[in-house]
Amino acid sequence: MNVLGMGIICAQGRGVDRFRDALNRGWQKPAEIGASYLKDGKSFAYLADIRNIADRTLLKKMRRSDKLSKMAVYAASEAFKNSGIENIDGKTVGIITATAFGPHVTTFDFLDEILQYGELHPSPTSFSNSVHNAASSYISSALNIQGPTLTVTQFFFSFQSALQLARSWLNEGRCDYVLVGTAEQYGDVLGYIYNEKLRAASDGRIKPFDFNPVFHVPGEGAVFFLLSNRKTDNTFCEVENILMDAETENSPQVDLNIIDADGMLADESVYAYSLSEDIPAAAYSPLFGSMMTGSAFNCAAGALMLKEQIKYANPVRDNPHGLNIVSETKKDNIELIRIIRYNCYGNKAGVYLGKK
Amino acid sequence: MLITGLGVVSAAGVGLDNTLDSFSRGKRNAGRVTLFETSLPYPVFEVKDIPEKFYMEGRRTLSLALCAVDEALGNAELGSDLSGFRVGVCLGTTVASQLNDIEFYKSYRNTRSAPMTSANRYLKGNVAEFISRRFKVRGPALTVVNACSSGTDAIGVAISWLNNGLCDIAIAGGADEMNIVPLCGFGSLGVLSSELCMPFDRDRKGLNLGEGAGILVIETRESVEKRGMTSGLFISGYGSASDSYHLTAPRPDGAGLEASISKALSDAGITLADVSFVNAHGTATTDNDLVEGRLLGKIFGAGLKMLSTKGYTGHTLGAAGGMEAVFSAAALREGWIPASAGFENRDENIPVAPVVRKTTVDGRYALSTSLAFGGNNAALVLERKG
Repeated sequence: MNVLGMGIICAQGRGVDRFRDALNRGWQKPAEIGASYLKDGKSFAYLADIRNIADRTLLKKMRRSDKLSKMAVYAASEAFKNSGIENIDGKTVGIITATAFGPHVTTFDFLDEILQYGELHPSPTSFSNSVHNAASSYISSALNIQGPTLTVTQFFFSFQSALQLARSWLNEGRCDYVLVGTAEQYGDVLGYIYNEKLRAASDGRIKPFDFNPVFHVPGEGAVFFLLSNRKTDNTFCEVENILMDAETENSPQVDLNIIDADGMLADESVYAYSLSEDIPAAAYSPLFGSMMTGSAFNCAAGALMLKEQIKYANPVRDNPHGLNIVSETKKDNIELIRIIRYNCYGNKAGVYLGKK
Repeated sequence: MLITGLGVVSAAGVGLDNTLDSFSRGKRNAGRVTLFETSLPYPVFEVKDIPEKFYMEGRRTLSLALCAVDEALGNAELGSDLSGFRVGVCLGTTVASQLNDIEFYKSYRNTRSAPMTSANRYLKGNVAEFISRRFKVRGPALTVVNACSSGTDAIGVAISWLNNGLCDIAIAGGADEMNIVPLCGFGSLGVLSSELCMPFDRDRKGLNLGEGAGILVIETRESVEKRGMTSGLFISGYGSASDSYHLTAPRPDGAGLEASISKALSDAGITLADVSFVNAHGTATTDNDLVEGRLLGKIFGAGLKMLSTKGYTGHTLGAAGGMEAVFSAAALREGWIPASAGFENRDENIPVAPVVRKTTVDGRYALSTSLAFGGNNAALVLERKG
């Protein structure tokens, strides 16, 4: 299964070019946001800015949508555009959107309306946009895609499960192409829950190699991949395997381990066991923030590195355990990258991306 | 893929036998909401007696799922420890995927602080993950949140996993609880009926919400043979297609539904003529029944045997597809479909009408359809052999 196209929107801007710029530029302080649940009322978050989007055609098709859906549509649309594939007549295109929390901001807006106006008078628009599959639906209608359209949620492994399903659909011939991606939105209530359960980074820095104690900075954004079993000149990379938990034991030798450490687990020491001295490690969560589906953004970094044969330096290079981490950006021969995510039960998922 | 286990819980009954008894007697267990305070007058289909051993306070969707999974696994002669098998769990839901606890939010809204009990429950309440951990499952686990087609799509995902060797056995279907948020939401859309729902009826006024769970245990032939089991029931086809039209309204020409049916039939290697009956989505809303009924009439013709079971269960959202797959499989096995509760008068705009009495079905294939918010359409072909 190959990555033919990729679209991304996050705190670093919209598009693969902006994401590449961010990888080159390194860590930037995230936005300071108002957090009414905190005593000092201030916190940090990596927020995506969707105000200056120029695609009027897309905007028209989703004028009533929420930010989550808009981010998903932008990313999915761009994945199609940069694949260079223009004609999908007669082809079946599937959509799988993976999300940990879905449109929770709109859900809370809807609850606000119930509390404010009573049970009889909340807005039907808020309700319909609060349904988990709204983003997939907007992608389908904005891009005129009529294949199977699915939204899935599995907290930490939502994205890996979606990739696994996309591969199944392609192998079965159920689809010729599958748009797979993730979308998450930051909101005040989620910030509160994070703050109650996790430690917030008071300096705005996620330090992925600290492992314990860990600090998070909430993120948001969307990333979509256009996948197919065929290859094109624009192909970013191949998704060689998606292994869940015990299956990862006999994993092949890779050129780079990207870990999803981002402060979303109370103790991230488990990541240390997946790393070895002779394979360099990277983690790009300090660019886009802490998200349960952050793997998708790390996969985007991996896909870009394989296409361009460049290893990007870790944006935050604090390294208290003396690990072999990528400390400078340089051209390199990269054949295989593994992206590793652990969940709160200690289960592991690995996505293997290979040079096309 | 063989179906070796069926489990169901709804207002029509706890367990398949009780459900079929309600169907047979035309019993409709609807009433006012009792699970929470509400001023909304719409009748709903609540599950009155979740067996104590499955009941978990504040985790109703999981309780319902557990109840149906337990029955399906018992049916399949599988125990409560599945660690010796390669099992996948794919379940659809809507309510359990959201932190839509109004008391939690009210507290946060008023004080910028709220007890974490419901947030913790939510974070540990992913329905597929919960079932997977509860039964020590080693294979894939995934929760499908495709609105009202979630249960059907979850079964479709399980079929793909089995086809691709990701597991040998799958627990698939859907579960959803009665909750104030969708009640207000569907109310705001103006699609709830203040009377008992009347699917496909000329005078239908909207849907009634329900709750429940419907679970199938699906296995590869190799797995069934290895376990020394037999089964005469199969899932033979699944199709899914998007309307690419509107967030809440179905595409008027039913093209997405037609594409999903066509894919499911081609998956099964059969034609429309092979279908014995259709268990329609049939929510009793004006738009759904018009689009679905017209499309079914167009492709099958006026002689189609069809029904909607929502007159017995209400619309159970993410559970509906799983429950209706269970009902369809059971109907093939038992050789009858129930009267389509609530239907009395034919709608002249719909060229097919559901059955009005318990009706014999002796064919080999059944079709179960789901339409959802977001323009999702999904269809399953179920088969009986021998």
